[in-house]
Amino acid sequence: MGSYILKRIVGSIFILLLIMVVTFLLMNAIPGSPFLTEKSTPEQIAMAEAKYGLDKPLHIQLWNYIKSYLKGDLGTSLKMQEGTPVKDIIFRQGKFILSIKLGIYSLLLAILVGIPLGCLAAYFRGSWLDGCLRVITTVGVAIPGFVLAALLLIAFSVKIPIFPTKSGNLPNFKSYVLPVISLSSYYTCYIAKLMRTSMLDAINQDYIRTARAKGVKTRSIILKHALRNSLIPVITYLGPVTAGIITGSFVVESTFSVPGLGKYFVQCVLSRDYPIIMATTVVLSALVIIMMLVVDIVYKIVDPRITLTAKED
Amino acid sequence: MKTPFAKLSPFQVDPEKIMDTFGINDGDFEKASDNEKESMVETHKSISYWKDAWRRFRSNTVSMVALFVFLCCLFFAFVGPYLIPYNYSDQYRTAQKLGPFEYSPGEEIAHSIEKSVDGLYSTSMRPGSITALPAGDYAITAGKKTYAFTLDKPIDNCMIVLDLDEAEPLRIVNEADVRDGAYTNYTPIAFTDTPAEGAAQLKFSKRIFPHVFGTDSAGRDIMARTMYGARVSIIIGVIAALIVLIIGSLYGAISGLCGGAVDFVMMRIVELIYSIPEVLVVLLLQVVLKEPLQMWFQAHSETSAFVRAMSDLGAGIVSIFITFAVLYWVTMARIIRGQVLMLKKQEYVTAATALGASNSRIIRKHLLPNCIGPLVITTCLQIPSAIFLESFLSFLGLGVSAPMASLGSLCSDALQTIQLYPYRLVFPAIILTIIVLTLNLVGDGLRDALDPRLKK
Repeated sequence: MGSYILKRIVGSIFILLLIMVVTFLLMNAIPGSPFLTEKSTPEQIAMAEAKYGLDKPLHIQLWNYIKSYLKGDLGTSLKMQEGTPVKDIIFRQGKFILSIKLGIYSLLLAILVGIPLGCLAAYFRGSWLDGCLRVITTVGVAIPGFVLAALLLIAFSVKIPIFPTKSGNLPNFKSYVLPVISLSSYYTCYIAKLMRTSMLDAINQDYIRTARAKGVKTRSIILKHALRNSLIPVITYLGPVTAGIITGSFVVESTFSVPGLGKYFVQCVLSRDYPIIMATTVVLSALVIIMMLVVDIVYKIVDPRITLTAKED
Repeated sequence: MKTPFAKLSPFQVDPEKIMDTFGINDGDFEKASDNEKESMVETHKSISYWKDAWRRFRSNTVSMVALFVFLCCLFFAFVGPYLIPYNYSDQYRTAQKLGPFEYSPGEEIAHSIEKSVDGLYSTSMRPGSITALPAGDYAITAGKKTYAFTLDKPIDNCMIVLDLDEAEPLRIVNEADVRDGAYTNYTPIAFTDTPAEGAAQLKFSKRIFPHVFGTDSAGRDIMARTMYGARVSIIIGVIAALIVLIIGSLYGAISGLCGGAVDFVMMRIVELIYSIPEVLVVLLLQVVLKEPLQMWFQAHSETSAFVRAMSDLGAGIVSIFITFAVLYWVTMARIIRGQVLMLKKQEYVTAATALGASNSRIIRKHLLPNCIGPLVITTCLQIPSAIFLESFLSFLGLGVSAPMASLGSLCSDALQTIQLYPYRLVFPAIILTIIVLTLNLVGDGLRDALDPRLKK
């Protein structure tokens, strides 16, 4: 187990490095200079580039990035907030925290609602409840997040003003409701669907029949025997969910005017603020990669049959 | 031939007796004739894989309904634009910010007298920033007859009306003169049959059609735009799915067939791409590719038809395709590789190898037919995910650019005025949801039909 985790961590660092290289190359593939405006003269551009080391050869620039990242220094902003350290922008100004808060609550909601719904649907399979849930989940995975966000916005902040139209810095509980629901709805529905299938699979296994024959209560059959075995596909899915929720936050943040990292990232890409693009990509990628690692380890705890060292399939 | 049973031990039964008891004749041991053989062959036709799948698919009510609704969406997107008189990019000066099923004032008037005349051309329904019809030579066709006439001065807020029952069939009617579905005053136009050199062609309106989904702030008909956007979205989805199909299946098949070190390296690459949070890269790619693509279009669109087709689609869409080609094929590759690996170990493949079948025969006869199910299913489910991604990018302002529209960009445009005109969002959003929903359901149905083993 220990050696496996170590191997995975090394692999993850390698992937992060690779993502840095790819991001760096992509950033530099955008034609022109970030300092190019209608008014700027070539001398001014050259001066600005020299100031931030953009005139150096590419491999040296890349090496500088990697060196400073190893020291924990994420560089300084070029344009969005000129001269401010990127670390401050991402972590101190609360952007990262906002996005993370939205993300974590959405993830929790998706898990805490999706799993019970899936269990219910499986347990009452064939009933009206199952039918309703199936319709809801099928429609739920077909509505794009931004559409749901916008519809919720019309319904519950414009027509019936219960929730604020602008969630801003998420000061109170009310401001969380709509963003979190629209961010998590797709994943809630998907997890419920997944859970229903795998729960049905588990319920039809022999050991469930044995437990029933022994006279174990239905509740503890579901909670102890079936649930544990049917959680595995859901846990596998949590890695992609994290990536998806981070992505979804781009849209939700702009719909509900939350000044989070996602919205900021899009602005930075458009205005070509290299250090912020790099830092955001690395931080968000790291988050996804760590989540995938955690998922694999939880996997092992839930299902001891899985041998982590063996290759998949 | 009665001797072979001559010596029988006491425990043996005499075959003669048995034959007598059961009424078997010697003739029953004759070789069967060709006729008899034929009558033994099963008479019902064998059902092919596709027929069988179609039978299973048909019995699945939900999928059939979904397929029907999806076909309706296709009709809406591809035939619809020919049925309504509005164009996705035409801006009608007088028809801005209309609600669903509303007419602009000019259209309202034209609509009121539409039934009593044989042809109608309204200057307020001219697309563009000028509503007036400038002075000049014009030709207008109704049926087989062409009416050519000259306007001495520009006309504004007027209609050119054709009324075949009257002595002066072609007339100019001022909108102010229309009361309760009839016009009180008109100016006749003198016309000839042969249009003058360089005469501008006009067209009588087909039917005055309400703006069913309303219009946007620039006076564009939202239904026309939604139809066009649905078409763009569906095309993007299909092409992206095909790209994924080609790259993913080839990659997966090669990896699975070769095995060993090749497989190991290829699968590490897949894992790597899999763990990259793709949307971050997609966003970067979108920005990166835009300018080089536009330059490439300009440089080569003269010489190559392919590039011209690409440049018609626009840099935004082409970079979506490139993104799919670079990042999104990994799931397909994994599925196909798994399938190939599983099939390779099957007994019938071993048997075929033992019988001396060549590699290409095994691939053609055994691997490919068995992979078709997963290929079709994954491709079908890839379409909605491509539509999702495209709408997501358009929503962030990176996908298609105006005046082109996709369902995502329509939603994103609508969001800016959502407080005042919520219906602008609702219609494209519903169409988008229906397309994705029905494709998902059809994909699920296909999975049940093509691969019954997977059915839970």
